Amino acid sequence: MSTLLLASGFLDDVWSFVRDNADELAAGLRKTLQVSLIAILGASIVGITLGAARAYRLPVVSQIAAVYVEVIRNTPILVQIFMLFFALPQIGIRLDAFTVAWLAVTIWGGAFNTENFRAGFEAVPERYREAGAALGFTRLATFVNITLPIGGRIALPSSINTYISIVKNTSLMYVIAYPEITTVIFQIQALTLQTAEAFTVLALTYLIIVWSMSAGIRLLEAHLALPEGRA
Amino acid sequence: MIAFAPDWADPVARYVIETGLRNTLKLSAIALVGSSVIGITLGTLLTVHFLPTRALIRLYIEIWRGLPILVTIFIVYFALPAVSPRLRFDAITAGAIALILWGSAQVAEATRGAVQSIPREQHEAASALGFGWLGRHAFVIMPQALRRLLPPLVGLLVNIIQNTTIVQVIGAPEILETAERQVERLTFEGQEHAIEIYGAIMVVFFVISFPLTRLAAYLERRLT
Repeated sequence: MSTLLLASGFLDDVWSFVRDNADELAAGLRKTLQVSLIAILGASIVGITLGAARAYRLPVVSQIAAVYVEVIRNTPILVQIFMLFFALPQIGIRLDAFTVAWLAVTIWGGAFNTENFRAGFEAVPERYREAGAALGFTRLATFVNITLPIGGRIALPSSINTYISIVKNTSLMYVIAYPEITTVIFQIQALTLQTAEAFTVLALTYLIIVWSMSAGIRLLEAHLALPEGRA
Repeated sequence: MIAFAPDWADPVARYVIETGLRNTLKLSAIALVGSSVIGITLGTLLTVHFLPTRALIRLYIEIWRGLPILVTIFIVYFALPAVSPRLRFDAITAGAIALILWGSAQVAEATRGAVQSIPREQHEAASALGFGWLGRHAFVIMPQALRRLLPPLVGLLVNIIQNTTIVQVIGAPEILETAERQVERLTFEGQEHAIEIYGAIMVVFFVISFPLTRLAAYLERRLT
């Protein structure tokens, strides 16, 4: 009974933490979502373009893309953020926190997405491309009308996992003091000392976003499933 | 220490390697062992058809996989001591706990798949030989499941090594934190070497991670 009272008391504290800081929390959440959305779009463009270059083995571009993918995947994103924000000013390149925030997760997500889409495009059976050629499609038209829609669907589960990681990685912008939700909540708890309440709210915020995205995947997967299975 | 290197580089390299890299490797090893032991146990238990344990383990997996590691580190380092003073940990321990919570959730999910991929006949044959549940899983199922588990475990090791850098935010003296301290010391002395130092850190991580990602890909290919 007493633990129950304690728990309900804590829930009240959490709720009043949200009410007392509603404006700051909303602003932080908006920045988290904004940066995530830019990076998801950016990483999709990078991933589809370089993934296609890799799958079609475009000379030079394919090799550069391979190096980019390996460098980004094999170094910590936090060091990449440090490089962009704390090291580049040394050679006169000063990026503000917002630019580093979306750029860092776009570069990171783009590398993983290049692999996701390369694998997706390469999984499209050769006979589909031949069918495109037989219909008189140019290589570009074959890509846009056949390889992209089919390969894109094959790449969907892994690319959505990358998008989820992008959202989670925006929390690292705390190190450059970009006021997204993690930074905002950290600063509020440093002032109010409502540590347990603050981090409960922070954890719930991410879990709601991440869990909704993974629930979304399952719906989308069922909806976009290829008629003949995985072709 | 390093031939042909400028004067400022020697003390930096010495500190970053002797303190930073050592802690990074220590943290990685602890996190790998802890994640594997807890993850394989939870993943195996997840295949038992008993609803309450399955629901609890599922919740554990979804929470620690869903949270950014940074948030888990904050929870362990700042929120737990606020709940009880006995739950106060130094930065490296707090980082290790957070990495194990996240890593064990990853391993548990992979283990579930690996255990369920072992054909039913193996369970039945082991039972027929008189093995109990524990003996069956320890001596018959797990040795076979481990083969399937190896590629994701190598992949996890790469992720763990890279994610140890996040412990930098609470000041644990791993490789990135020691590098940052050196960058700041040099800046204070009027020298700017951030690009060289952080660049060298990227090279160190690349040299460790690249062979491991290759190995994971090779193990994955050999399996199929």
